[in-house]
Amino acid sequence: MSIAIQNFEAQELYYPEIAEISAVKRFTAKEKWFEITLPGGRSLGHQPGQFVQVSLFGAGEAPISVTSSPTKKGAFELCVREVGMLTNVLHSLETGSKIGIRGPFGRGFDVESFKGKDILIIGGGIGIVPLRSLINYVIDNRKDFGRLIIAYGAKSPDELLYPEELVQWENSKEIEYHVTVDQGTPEWKGNTGVITTLIPPLDLDLENTIAAVVGPPIMYKFVLMSLKTKRVPDENIYMSLERRMKCGVGKCGHCQINHSYVCQEGPVYHYPEIKNLQEAI
Amino acid sequence: MEKYQLNTNKIESFITHLKNKGKVFAPHKSGKNSFKFNEVENPDSVVLDYNRTLNSIKKYFLPPREVLLSFSKKEYSFEKSTIEVEKKIFLGVHNYDVKGVLRLDYNFSQGNPEDNYLKRRADSIFIGVSYEPDEYHFSQSVGIPLHDTEGFDIYLEKNDSGYTISAITENGQSIVDGFDGFSEEQAAPSNHVQFKNRLKYNYNRLPEVFEHSWNASVWEEVSKRCVGCGTCNLVCPTCYCFDVEDNMDLSLLQGTRERNWDGCMLNSFAAVAGGENFRETLAERQRHRVYRKFKYITDITGEPWCIGCGRCTAYCTAGISIVEIVNDLCDEYEAKYLNRPVEQSGLNAARL
Amino acid sequence: MSKPKVAFFDFTSCEGCQLNKLNLEDHLLDILEHIDIVEFREAMDDKADEYDISFIEGSISTPSCIARIHDIRRRSKILIALGACATQGGINAMKNLHPIEEVRETVYGDDKYLFPTLPAMPVSAIVKVDYEVNGCPMSTPEFLKVLKSLLAGQEPIKPDSAVCVECKLRENECLYDRGMVCLGPISKSGCGAICPSFGQFCTGCRGLVSNADKNAMIDILTSHGITLDEAKKRLLLFNSYDHSQSMPK
Repeated sequence: MSIAIQNFEAQELYYPEIAEISAVKRFTAKEKWFEITLPGGRSLGHQPGQFVQVSLFGAGEAPISVTSSPTKKGAFELCVREVGMLTNVLHSLETGSKIGIRGPFGRGFDVESFKGKDILIIGGGIGIVPLRSLINYVIDNRKDFGRLIIAYGAKSPDELLYPEELVQWENSKEIEYHVTVDQGTPEWKGNTGVITTLIPPLDLDLENTIAAVVGPPIMYKFVLMSLKTKRVPDENIYMSLERRMKCGVGKCGHCQINHSYVCQEGPVYHYPEIKNLQEAI
Repeated sequence: MEKYQLNTNKIESFITHLKNKGKVFAPHKSGKNSFKFNEVENPDSVVLDYNRTLNSIKKYFLPPREVLLSFSKKEYSFEKSTIEVEKKIFLGVHNYDVKGVLRLDYNFSQGNPEDNYLKRRADSIFIGVSYEPDEYHFSQSVGIPLHDTEGFDIYLEKNDSGYTISAITENGQSIVDGFDGFSEEQAAPSNHVQFKNRLKYNYNRLPEVFEHSWNASVWEEVSKRCVGCGTCNLVCPTCYCFDVEDNMDLSLLQGTRERNWDGCMLNSFAAVAGGENFRETLAERQRHRVYRKFKYITDITGEPWCIGCGRCTAYCTAGISIVEIVNDLCDEYEAKYLNRPVEQSGLNAARL
Repeated sequence: MSKPKVAFFDFTSCEGCQLNKLNLEDHLLDILEHIDIVEFREAMDDKADEYDISFIEGSISTPSCIARIHDIRRRSKILIALGACATQGGINAMKNLHPIEEVRETVYGDDKYLFPTLPAMPVSAIVKVDYEVNGCPMSTPEFLKVLKSLLAGQEPIKPDSAVCVECKLRENECLYDRGMVCLGPISKSGCGAICPSFGQFCTGCRGLVSNADKNAMIDILTSHGITLDEAKKRLLLFNSYDHSQSMPK
């Protein structure tokens, strides 16, 4: 097979756009929230579940999920755990700092196909970060969707993200919010236990419920088992996978799971697509 | 297609002729027993009779190290790296290596066509040369017979008094035109040579093998000998994975973002910042490497991404052979799924 | 912002790593733009009490070394081991393969009671080491890289791939194809494959990759014509400490 390469319109893939951090908030000891303003204040134009390559000169690039909903125009938001060299540097930046952005990349949640359905959000740890984009999308288009059920688990109460929004979710009549922590504190009045303990009591309209699952790698196996027990059909499950990524455009190879480039076909996958994909879950 | 006779004593003047048409790159002796593509300075240092070059000509389109951009932290700005499109003539390319380039053309033009690669790749002329397979070449098994000339603009086939030159494309013809050193007499082709190494199955039968080889015992067996040095990835003409790293100069205000070749056999390749490594063991990595060559892209394009050059095997200090791996997979597949005793067929059919 | 105070200390070693830093002539002035060197025996006399970054050269091999390294660690915000002796015990650790009393006797003879000695250990065996710069002598490009990262407030990236990778990026002819044997396949990269690039086989001076399979490496060495005994010696030259730790006592 030979390809007439001159027929392709080559793209400059690796140049970031210089944006600005327009607000920073610390959520926990490890996580900070950043608002990023692109030149001219234009919107990022992403889908919930997509990611950007954050580019810090001298430190490199890393894939970070967008946590704001596309319904929020103008600046977009990231929520980042300090876990490696790049995120370490990112955490040291303040309002007004410049950062590079490439993207949005990958495939997000297919929100169009979710319309009319009940949405069950299952987020473990920082898995809530990309899901919060979907949550706010549903909240902002509330009439297009059925129930919004959120199951959120963290290791401990002080690791819960979005403290102000959690109160709103809790108090909203339009959201069924369930939260648990692995390890409680004396002040913690809510559930303790792993995230799967939230699933059995849920009263779901199985055929009409979309489950969006994001969490650490270890979580998927157990959440999938719970959903199976609950008889949620596989076709109704979506999940987002984390992998190492250097380019975000399907070239560098680091994110590959078998044939699938997570930066292209993921990070959000329809569960039936990866159910039989070795090394995926 | 025009054919010409280039006698041995005219090779150097032919190379000089090529040098007037553009930059010429050709194999040269390198080290004690190896060969390497370099830009031609002296036509008499070019070696057309060689087994394989250390790296393939991939290095001209996807350089081992490449500056993607230069940045300034102070102004928080960057400069794009400039890639000049220039005419490049590659002389003395073996046909499997040009096939390797055609495979990479697919990788860098599909999805997001990459400027860096396509600019470097543009305006390239490939002049092939016939070769005598050694104990590592097995291109025939992956669909590249000895005198397959797809991808070449000009082809040089060795004969008793030099080379028969075929101008295959219009570009090739225009390169040949104006050279007045061809001989009037056509010489007889050299002795017919054959492959010494081959896969047990031809490539078109491999999809069925790989369909059933995920849990083959070969992966574990091979990983006992493998030390994970990554050589097999780095010398492969169709491996194109890369890493990206920023380097600051000592002012700490400026630097460059560079990409360099990476390999899926290496420790950090599939590890994320949190510490999880999605292919922890050498057995998993070896399987990924070989599946990349025979299944993942092959399922889409119908062609194996291994081009049978034998580099991964010739340069493996542990003596791991991709031919042996694939042949072992074929054996295991046959034993498990084809040569099954009749009375057990129902049982095994279920596993299929 | 005041410049970080940087100190250099040497333990059991040839001090070649310190010398190697003084050989950074082209960069020394640029480096001094960013740091204040407050202690550096080989180059100056000044002393200070606290250090932002301490660079340690040499292995720990006497009881007094232990007290001293604890003291330095207490006074250092960041501590970095420099070179094979400090990072993996280095050549010094070859003595660990023999009974310590025998070593003492051989080296000091009748005066052995004046010189208490311990098996040679990397700095990390005694105190927390934040980063390492490998090599014998330590690799200067890596030293600069680590220093630049720290000055920029970044965590230095630790290489964990084999020297073969750097050889291949440089398109070197493999030394095995020149009839030599080389530890490149399991030795940690970061040196730019400087030895193989000049035709010298790799001795593993930078330590081994995290997943080094020594048995597989020995098979590679012996299958290329050297004896099992010689193969083991090659592996132990710079990596005896690691080996003595995993040896049955």
